[in-house]
Amino acid sequence: MSRYLLCVLSIVLILPSAVLAYGTAQRQPVYVGVKACAACHDGEGMGHQCSIWQQSKHARAYAVLAQPGAKAIAQLSGIPQEPQESVMCLGCHATGAHAEDWEKDDTFFVEDGVQCEHCHGPGSEYMTESVMRDRGKAMAAGLNMPTTRDCMVCHQVKGSHVAVHSLPTLDVLKGLRRIAHPTPEEWKYSDPVALPAGDSQGNAPAHIGVFKCGTCHKGPSMGYQFSKWRMSAHSRAFAVLTTEKAYEIAKEKGLKEPPQRSAACLKCHSTAHHDPAGGQRDLYSVYEGVGCEACHGAGSAYAEEARMTDPRAAHTAGLKEVNEQTCLRCHENAHDKPFDYEKALAKIAHPTKIEQVAEAPHYKTPLNLAILPGGKELYVACEASHTVIVVDAQSRRKIAEIAVGRHPTDVAFSPDGQRAYVSNRLDDTVSVVDVISRKEIGTIPVGDEPHGVLVDPSGTYLYVLNTSSDSISIIELATQKEIKRLAASRNPWSLSLAPDGSEIYVTNNLSRFVPFRTPSMSEVTIINAKRNIVDDRRVVPAANLMQGVDWHPSGKFALTTLNRTKNLVPMTRLLQGWTITNGLGIIWKDGRVDQVLLDEPGMSFPDPADVVITPNGRWALASSSGSNRIAVIDLEKMIAMLEAASDHDREHVFPNHLGKPTEFVVKHIPVEYSPRGIIVTPDGKSAFVANALDDSLTAIDLERMEAAGRIDLGGPKEITKIRYGERVFHSANITFHRQFSCHSCHPDGHVDGLTYDIEPDGIGISPVDNRTLRGILDTAPFKWEGTNPSLQRQCGPRLAVFFTRIQPFTDEQLSALDNYICTIPRPPNRYRPLGAELTDAQRRGKAMFERTMTNDGRLIPKGNRCVTCHAPPLYTDRQRHDIGTKLKWDRESEFDTPHLNNIYDSSPYLHNGIAETLEEIWTVYNPDDQHGVTNDMTKDQLNDLIEYIKTL
Amino acid sequence: MCMIHQWISKGLIVLALSMVFASAAGAARLPYVYTDWQHFTVKDGLPNDHVFAVEADETKVWVGTENGLACIDKRTGKVKSWTEAEGLPWRVVSALDMNPKTGELWVGLFGGGLARFSGGRVDHWHQLNSGLVNDVVYGVAVENDNVWVATTAGASRFNTVTGEWTIYTEKNAPMEEIWNYGVCQSDGKVFLSVWGSGILEFDIKTENWKDYLDPDGEMEIDLYRDDGIVHVITTGVSHVDDVLWVSSYFGMCRYDGRYWRGYYAHETGLPSDFGNAVKGRSADEGWYATDKGVGVVTDFSTDTWITYTMDPNTHEGVAVVTRNKEVLETVRSPRGIPHNYALWVEIDGDDVWVGTSKGLARGKGAGYYPGLKERPLHAPAAQKVVQTGTSK
Repeated sequence: MSRYLLCVLSIVLILPSAVLAYGTAQRQPVYVGVKACAACHDGEGMGHQCSIWQQSKHARAYAVLAQPGAKAIAQLSGIPQEPQESVMCLGCHATGAHAEDWEKDDTFFVEDGVQCEHCHGPGSEYMTESVMRDRGKAMAAGLNMPTTRDCMVCHQVKGSHVAVHSLPTLDVLKGLRRIAHPTPEEWKYSDPVALPAGDSQGNAPAHIGVFKCGTCHKGPSMGYQFSKWRMSAHSRAFAVLTTEKAYEIAKEKGLKEPPQRSAACLKCHSTAHHDPAGGQRDLYSVYEGVGCEACHGAGSAYAEEARMTDPRAAHTAGLKEVNEQTCLRCHENAHDKPFDYEKALAKIAHPTKIEQVAEAPHYKTPLNLAILPGGKELYVACEASHTVIVVDAQSRRKIAEIAVGRHPTDVAFSPDGQRAYVSNRLDDTVSVVDVISRKEIGTIPVGDEPHGVLVDPSGTYLYVLNTSSDSISIIELATQKEIKRLAASRNPWSLSLAPDGSEIYVTNNLSRFVPFRTPSMSEVTIINAKRNIVDDRRVVPAANLMQGVDWHPSGKFALTTLNRTKNLVPMTRLLQGWTITNGLGIIWKDGRVDQVLLDEPGMSFPDPADVVITPNGRWALASSSGSNRIAVIDLEKMIAMLEAASDHDREHVFPNHLGKPTEFVVKHIPVEYSPRGIIVTPDGKSAFVANALDDSLTAIDLERMEAAGRIDLGGPKEITKIRYGERVFHSANITFHRQFSCHSCHPDGHVDGLTYDIEPDGIGISPVDNRTLRGILDTAPFKWEGTNPSLQRQCGPRLAVFFTRIQPFTDEQLSALDNYICTIPRPPNRYRPLGAELTDAQRRGKAMFERTMTNDGRLIPKGNRCVTCHAPPLYTDRQRHDIGTKLKWDRESEFDTPHLNNIYDSSPYLHNGIAETLEEIWTVYNPDDQHGVTNDMTKDQLNDLIEYIKTL
Repeated sequence: MCMIHQWISKGLIVLALSMVFASAAGAARLPYVYTDWQHFTVKDGLPNDHVFAVEADETKVWVGTENGLACIDKRTGKVKSWTEAEGLPWRVVSALDMNPKTGELWVGLFGGGLARFSGGRVDHWHQLNSGLVNDVVYGVAVENDNVWVATTAGASRFNTVTGEWTIYTEKNAPMEEIWNYGVCQSDGKVFLSVWGSGILEFDIKTENWKDYLDPDGEMEIDLYRDDGIVHVITTGVSHVDDVLWVSSYFGMCRYDGRYWRGYYAHETGLPSDFGNAVKGRSADEGWYATDKGVGVVTDFSTDTWITYTMDPNTHEGVAVVTRNKEVLETVRSPRGIPHNYALWVEIDGDDVWVGTSKGLARGKGAGYYPGLKERPLHAPAAQKVVQTGTSK
């Protein structure tokens, strides 16, 4: 077959699907696979380009993801999937990982790793000879001639890879020389490798190719067999025939043809020539070298699953037994090299069972708890173990553990005590638990990242706070269906029903959006419990991170926990408690709002997480997760103090007064690591605190106001480095006067939604938006100005200089903290569940994201396309760019390119948080098309683009 | 005499008197006529007298004006208002719709986009901070978890759960023009009244569009009557009990799924062919707000109309009941609608609210009954159709 005919045939095979996939005037390219490229780009006349690739690490990039190191990196990066199934890993270890199925032809295989089209772009539109002969035409059709910048999208140092492999920084020029595959100046096509015709009767089984075998023989359940072959020298057996050594051997043997065209060489360097069998099926390619069928026999007759699962039937259909003789046929005295069968076998061993690796300890991380009506049992929602732990309130012992959804966060009981409802933050569901059988009997889908839950006294409705979608789901329990969804403020967190049952107060963790450089403004959302509508929205000025809430039994007010973050001025007055203060909100039924601090001079009360009031209304207990203490508040004194004060003092003095708490905080009770939820028993005699990072509860004797014991929830005794780092992250011990912890600005590793004026460079200079730590691991450099190359630097000296103002973390703490931050995972993307297809709007948006031409046909310079700077898999090139967003307050004009994963969940946007919504990034802050060419887009195109961006 | 006998005797007397009166004044099957009107203007606390939209719920009536939003407490009659100074993001409120499930009020802002009023907080979406297609909003309708917005550059559908915005223009809907005047939803359908495209019906389940146009294609005349929409320049749409009520600048119409019926001022009780809005109360009763008063089809099958206007000379209310142009009754009341340039009608149980260019009127419907009923005339019928005032 001539080279030209092969090209034409490849095109004929490939193009129809491209046309079908698009069927529009503007054809979009489709990935066609290596075999199509190799049809022209191999052989002596083309500089053996395909064979050079095949011998490179790029060709094994997918296969290496089967190795234990890849799993370690995935684990370190908080990637829950198999590396070979994670788009995050595949983005740099395969080609077209972010392409949809319809963007890949049948001839394309992800198992080829990083192949031609990863760097040169999907080939369907430029692969024809007539287009390829004209470079301009080819580039207009999608051909990319990569620069070092393209290489660096994947090859920049990644913290995770350094940690596991200690990989040195890539010398990109050296790397380029290593993979160089120049087209000879006097290039010419080579004739294709002639394949044996097979038996003339057509009865013998034919070769089907390694990719066919690989459809089943991959993944952990099959011992990653395909990848093991791909990592072996067998997979490069054909490609090595282009080496100087191969030519030398051929010369020695007096062969006239090039080795890749010599039957003598191919006999042991290609499956088809090794055993001609019954010919070859379409998917077979000589480039596979020595594939599965070279040893196991041509597979067309035994490859079907039904046959393969029946050894006798498989054997009858041609599956050969492999023994020493099988290997010796080629390896005995081959090129004068000694052959040790046992050693060779060990080298290519590919058993279906793989060695089990010891798993890291599984902690419990109790967050919140509820007491069964009647008071006999406590149900504790344990985030890390995905369980609810049942504790006997009398004996104070763990008596059961119930598996629920992922990341259970809060729990509430039906009034009859028959059911418990548990919010599962990672699954967006509520587990329905049967209390008698202690089993999850169902789940109810709710909004994104559900947190607080509450059942009304009649047992008719369940209220669920969806922290990520800023809404409140109301579930009718009789049908277990969501009947309505109310708008909360931002990050609704906890809720409490008024004693008369009329109102539900909902705290919101994040402040409302406020105008640029103005103080935060939090909201308590008030639900009319009779009508199930939002009746009022009480504003709590300058507060944020409002979490716990509880009504006073008098029904006159509710207490909430809160932070008061002074984010608009540099931290120059840390001494006066002027960075973050911590306290309580008093939300009166009559509409008034008071704020008092729980900090005292020299001893702050960092990260107040929950508050509860005793049944007699005399005491309130508040937890400080940053200092492992419970504050006991004398409410009579506190209310008397407020009522005796002037309006001015209540509005302007008390909210910031560090001296006042001594008037009403009567005691601090030490508890274990990171106390979160608190409850008081109905008889008012005891309280229980969930110690999140100690896997325990602390029982408190309310008569003596003392800790009465630790209740072990059964977590592992071993404290791993990551767990230690988690404790460091949540502890305020590192900051001056213990004012705040890492968690204070990055609650649960995410964002507090504020813009900070961090540097001591003058008030208002270089304000920056807080960025999420979810999935931050490999996105160095850090800081909007991109000046911190590693998390260790970001969290080490920098933190001490600008934030904590005391001794920096020790090396041990810093290393552990670094490890923990690396493992804060991204939650699953809510706009595109794993495996879901893009919606029509998202698909159109993808085309906008990747577009190369404007609506009126102008070429968009490569540097001004969305996908250039926000390149997958992290959707950042990790470089700084000037996108025209410098304002008069900024020192720099170039800013770090943020990653876009789950970008919908971390508003506001741009370096200074000036854009409240994704739309504003382009409608308001991109007047000169510096931040990508977007001004020609129609409104619906921009909407589509945003719908796509939200899926990343 | 025992109480029951007393009661029966009194009842008999009343009945006898009624029969005497009826025979004297003439009894007939007649519609309910609103005669008790209450006015709300700037003097009563409205932020502006140009009333563009009214939305009533159980306890409150929300009023959109040219300079702000107002809320009337139906029990106390107290009016509270919000202008830009009070946090309303834009001064001109052109459309209102309440989500009955959540109690959220969705506010269309003429030039300012869309707002949500909930628990005293206003959230604002416009063409720069959201996917809203255009800030000039004429109509708003809540459909399940979605909010539809009729704008001057197409319609937007906002999914309040996912945050997704979908735009409907000539690219993906049968819009000859993209100037959307009104929107309503019911029974799994959304209806858009579009300048130049008649009425567009969107099936929520299938997401398919269907258009209702004027089949004769004539812009100047209605060549074949009752063949479809009277004119493709429609201004309002209301769908109730499977019947579509449509207003346009060139006449009005009604469609029951099979038959169209066109209405013109010269042959019905419509005060004018220039319709600003329409609200159907049932399949048989539709209220048209026109530039010369309010025309009401009170009983479709008998073609009985009431024309509500204000006498420009006396400022009294005038309600004229007609059937096939025959005046059955003319009822004068101390008050009627406050101005004949009517912009909006809202049905509120037995009451009705009429927004005009000079304030808002509440027609109190004590004793309201649908359709026709044998009842005495309010007053002897006039001989001819009363020519109503045209002051603007």
